[in-house]
Amino acid sequence: MNLRYMVKELYHRKTRTAVAALGLAVGICLMVVINALALAYRQAAQAPLKDFGADVIVQRSGDVPREISGAVFPCSAVTIKSDEIAAIRRLPGVRQVSTALLMWVFDAQRMAIVLGIEDQGNIGPAILRRYVNAGRFWRTGRQEALVETAYAQQLGIKPGDGIPLAGDTYTVAGLVDASRVPKVATANIYLPLAQAQRIAAASPQLQAVSPFAPSDVNLLFITADQSKTAQLVSGIEALLGPKAEIATPDSFLKSLGSLFALSDKLSLTVSLIVIIVTVLITFKSMAANVAERRREIGVLKAVGWTNRQVAIQITAESVSQCLIAAMIGLLAAFLAVAALGLVTIDIPIPWEMSPSPHFMPGGGDPVFKTLRLPIHISPGLAVFAVVLSVFVGSITAGLLSRHIGRIKPAEVLRYE
Amino acid sequence: MNNTPLLYGEQVSKSYGTLEVVKSVNLSVAPAEFVCMVGKSGSGKTTLLALLSGMEQPTSGKVMLEDTDLTRSSEDDLALVRREKVGFIFQSFQLIPTLSAWENVALPLFPLKMAKEERRSRAVELLARLDMQHRLDHLPTALSGGEKQRVAIARALVNHPCIVFADEPTGNLDSATGADIMAILKGLQHEAGVAMLMVTHDQELAAQADRIVCMKDGEVSV
Repeated sequence: MNLRYMVKELYHRKTRTAVAALGLAVGICLMVVINALALAYRQAAQAPLKDFGADVIVQRSGDVPREISGAVFPCSAVTIKSDEIAAIRRLPGVRQVSTALLMWVFDAQRMAIVLGIEDQGNIGPAILRRYVNAGRFWRTGRQEALVETAYAQQLGIKPGDGIPLAGDTYTVAGLVDASRVPKVATANIYLPLAQAQRIAAASPQLQAVSPFAPSDVNLLFITADQSKTAQLVSGIEALLGPKAEIATPDSFLKSLGSLFALSDKLSLTVSLIVIIVTVLITFKSMAANVAERRREIGVLKAVGWTNRQVAIQITAESVSQCLIAAMIGLLAAFLAVAALGLVTIDIPIPWEMSPSPHFMPGGGDPVFKTLRLPIHISPGLAVFAVVLSVFVGSITAGLLSRHIGRIKPAEVLRYE
Repeated sequence: MNNTPLLYGEQVSKSYGTLEVVKSVNLSVAPAEFVCMVGKSGSGKTTLLALLSGMEQPTSGKVMLEDTDLTRSSEDDLALVRREKVGFIFQSFQLIPTLSAWENVALPLFPLKMAKEERRSRAVELLARLDMQHRLDHLPTALSGGEKQRVAIARALVNHPCIVFADEPTGNLDSATGADIMAILKGLQHEAGVAMLMVTHDQELAAQADRIVCMKDGEVSV
C-alpha cells in the first residue's frame, strides 16, 4: 500500500471523498446518538432509586384504613413480614437489604408522616444521617427523632424541643434535609426503626387492616446483581403475592413512555437498520469509485501491480475514508449529544411511592423527578463507532476486490 | 544487433466469439530493435500488442518474452513480468490524475520495497533526461499533451525494461510534438538498448523504425 498515493487520491477527489464519507458519517452519528439516548434514558430511569443506592424498592399494597386516627399504614405500603424479608434476602441476586417503616400518625393536634429508619447502612433512608443540617443524628437507645427541615420551620420546631407523637414525646435530636432523598422517603418525622415498629404494633387501627409484629416493616430497599434483577422481581412477586409493588429502573423506564425508553431491543433494531443502510451506501459509493477508476486500475495492473496490491490500495483508501467518516460522525454526535444534554425530562413517580396521604391537600398531585437527560458518549461507544467504520470499509473493499480482480488492463485501456 | 529474439509470438490467434481478430501471427522482436506495426483501424494491431505484452491471453499460440512463456504464466507472474521487463506507452497517456509528474513516473515502483528517495531520484533522473525537470511536481492537468507523453515515456522506462510497447504514442499529439516523441523513443532505443514495438497509423514515423510490420484483417504482412 502506498500512503502517498492514498492520501493524494482522497485529497484530490474531495467531492467523491466528502460524499462517501458524509453518507457513512450520518449513519455513524445516528447510531451513536440513538445508543447514547437509549443509555441516557436507562440511566435517567435509575435516578429515582440511585439517590438511595438501591436497585429495587419493594412495597405491598393493602386496604384503606377503616379509621383515620392514631398510627395507620398508607394503603400502598402495608406489612411485609419478617419471615418474608428473610426469604427475600435469600433470593438469587440480592446483595443487601435495608428496611424502613412508613406510617401516617393522626394525633388530636396534627397529622405527621413518620418514617422509621435503620441507624446504620449505606442504602435506603438510612443515608439520611448524611443530611442532618441542624443538631445531630439520634443516639441509639434514646427516645429521639429527626424532623424534616421544612416541616420544622412550618411548626417552629428546633433541635432539643419535644414533639408529641402517638402518645409519647420524642426529643428532636436534629433537623434533616429530606429534599436530598427520593420522594418515597420524604417524611415529616424520622424515628429509629425499632421505635416506629413499637408504635405500629401498638396501633389497633393499623392492626385491624394489616396485622403487624414488632419485627415487620413495610418498605424494602434492595441492592441487587443487575443481571439478575428480572429474576429477582419474579421471586419477590412469588413471595409477596399479586399485591407486591416493586419499583425498578425498568419500571421507571416504562413509565417514561419515550420511544428510546421502550426497550434495548428498539435501539438495537434501529442501530442495526442504520448500520445496514450505511454499509449499503458505503458499498454503493465504493462500487461507483471502482467503476469510475477502472482505467486507473487497468494502468496499475499494466505497469506491474498485482490484483492483491491493487486491492490493498483500494482497501486502504476505503478504510481511510471510513475513518474520516467516523471522525466526522463522532464529532456531529458529540455536538448533538451536547445539545440533548440541555433537555430536561420528568420521570413520573408512581402514586404508590408518594408518602403523602392522597386525601390531604396536594397529596394526590402527580409527582415527578425532574432531571437533565444524563446523555453522554461512552468511550466504548466511540471506539465501537470507529471499529464499525473500519469494518464497513474493509467489508466493502473486500466485496469489491473480486470485481477489481476481474478488471483486465487490455480491456479497459483498449478503447481510448 | 543481437538476432536472438527477445520477444517471439508463434501462431498467435485471438477470437472474440466467432470473430477472429488475430489470425495465426508469427512475429519476433530482437533486443534493442525498433519495430513499427502499421495498419488500418480494426486490423488487429492493438490486440496483437496486448497479446505480445501479456496483457491479454491468446486463444491459441505461444508468446515468449526472453525465457518466459507468457501464455502459461499466472496473472501474478504476468504482473511481475510487466513490472520487471516491460514498459507501456498509451495513446491517451493514461496518467493518474491525482499524482504529480514524478509520482506518475514512479508508479511501477510503488509496490516495490524501495526507499521513497530512491523512487523519486529514479523518476527525477528520467524526467530530466526528457527535459521535464521543471514540471516534476505538476499534476497531469497542468501539462501539455507532449509533456504528458514524456511523463508516460519516463514511466515506461523507470523499471529498466527490455522492451517497450507503445500503442499510438503520437496519436493525440500534433505532428511537431509527435516527431519530438518519436525522436525521444529512437534515442532511448539507441542509448538504453531498449527494444520498441510501436503501433502507429503514421507511415512517416513508421519509416524511422528498424522494421515495419503491416497488419491487415488480423494477419501480418512484412
